[in-house]
Amino acid sequence: MTTKTHTLTDELSAIDWCYEQGWTDGLPVVPPARERVERFLMAAGRPPEEIVARHPATGRECSVQSAAINAVMAGCQPQYFPTVLAALEGLNEDAYNFHGSTASTGGSAPVVIISGDIRDEIGMNASVNVFGPGNRANATIGRAMRLVIMNIFQMIPGISDRSTTGWPGKYGCCIAENILNSPWEPLHVSLDFPPEVSTATVFAASGFYNVENHYTSDPKLLLDTFADAMASLGALTDGQSLVVMSPEHAEIAASGGMTKQDVQAYLFEHASRDPEEMLSKGKWPAGHPGDGLAEGERGNGAFRRGRTPDDILLVVAGGEAGGHSAFLPSWSRGRNSIYQTKAIGVCLDC
Amino acid sequence: MSLELFDPTGEPTPTGFCSAPRLTSVEGLRIGLFSNGKVNADKLLRYTAEVFEQQANCNIVIDSGKRNASRIAEPQVLERIANDVDFLITAVGD
Repeated sequence: MTTKTHTLTDELSAIDWCYEQGWTDGLPVVPPARERVERFLMAAGRPPEEIVARHPATGRECSVQSAAINAVMAGCQPQYFPTVLAALEGLNEDAYNFHGSTASTGGSAPVVIISGDIRDEIGMNASVNVFGPGNRANATIGRAMRLVIMNIFQMIPGISDRSTTGWPGKYGCCIAENILNSPWEPLHVSLDFPPEVSTATVFAASGFYNVENHYTSDPKLLLDTFADAMASLGALTDGQSLVVMSPEHAEIAASGGMTKQDVQAYLFEHASRDPEEMLSKGKWPAGHPGDGLAEGERGNGAFRRGRTPDDILLVVAGGEAGGHSAFLPSWSRGRNSIYQTKAIGVCLDC
Repeated sequence: MSLELFDPTGEPTPTGFCSAPRLTSVEGLRIGLFSNGKVNADKLLRYTAEVFEQQANCNIVIDSGKRNASRIAEPQVLERIANDVDFLITAVGD
């Protein structure tokens, strides 16, 4: 496979040169030297020319090699690369809608959630500061996604990426599930993947909301806090939701015998507003027919987050101490982006 | 010492895309309008087209659009429109 190359004199000048070419996210990148890229290709064990993602509007294609180049630049280590590839394959699914989600004023970021043993194999953080800085795997896997989107697919901020505000997750947002401190089954098992497989789930999120409650030990009162955040006027749409529940909150939620599915159902039922308020507050344009659902589908006239409880993706992650969790709304205000999950390093359909 | 770097921008855009030939005059031509479905996009398109109607005797022969603003237009729809108009006005409202 032939790929264009450039000859520079040394690493430091190469870092500056990458800036000059517009190949960075604003932070310095690791120069994608041949020997680094080749180590990533060996770790993937896939043909370099294999296409893992294709842009639906421009037809631009991301090969395994192109992805490796950008993963090197992001600062990944070779052992992270199969995870990057799985996440890109999720992005490539039509239901994810990666063109719309990366071009929109809505400013979505592909949030990557890792479930399974690979978390420990590659040294990911699922605990304290799970969304924050400090862990190389978390930081660089997320960053690799953004560099691929910018460099290969040319979704460039201010040109083809028209996010009004964007949010920090667009630099990169990748977490691992804290299954050790979760009262429920792993995410990938909930999503019907074999227990021995690890998965990457990609969710097009438009922001991050800290859900705080330190003083109740009543599961329903705690979940009401989440539902209130999820139904905030600024966030409420019938798009999907990502709820990242801290171990402390998850323990409270499960204390009354609630399963993960029970929590999803409760949140779906309670994260709602009156459709009239959506109209009166300008969330819907004048003349909007309502919540878009048929009369028989509307639950008691309420407009809910999502169409079913399964539209609420529930994951346990974060440190063991602290009554803080997170809600991330989908970029899509409807059904234009559905989270996707792919197995890491294995082909389940082969 | 020299350092060989791979280009991270991948392969060039696949062929098959080309610019339409430039019009030398718009007098009397057929206009197509194609909205992306965002609020007020249709108004902007029609307002723009009316300028051509008034100043160049153009006619709006197609007034269409996407059903989903965040998805690409269906290729067969665009092909049909391209056969029936001389130029297309499209806009993005948000």
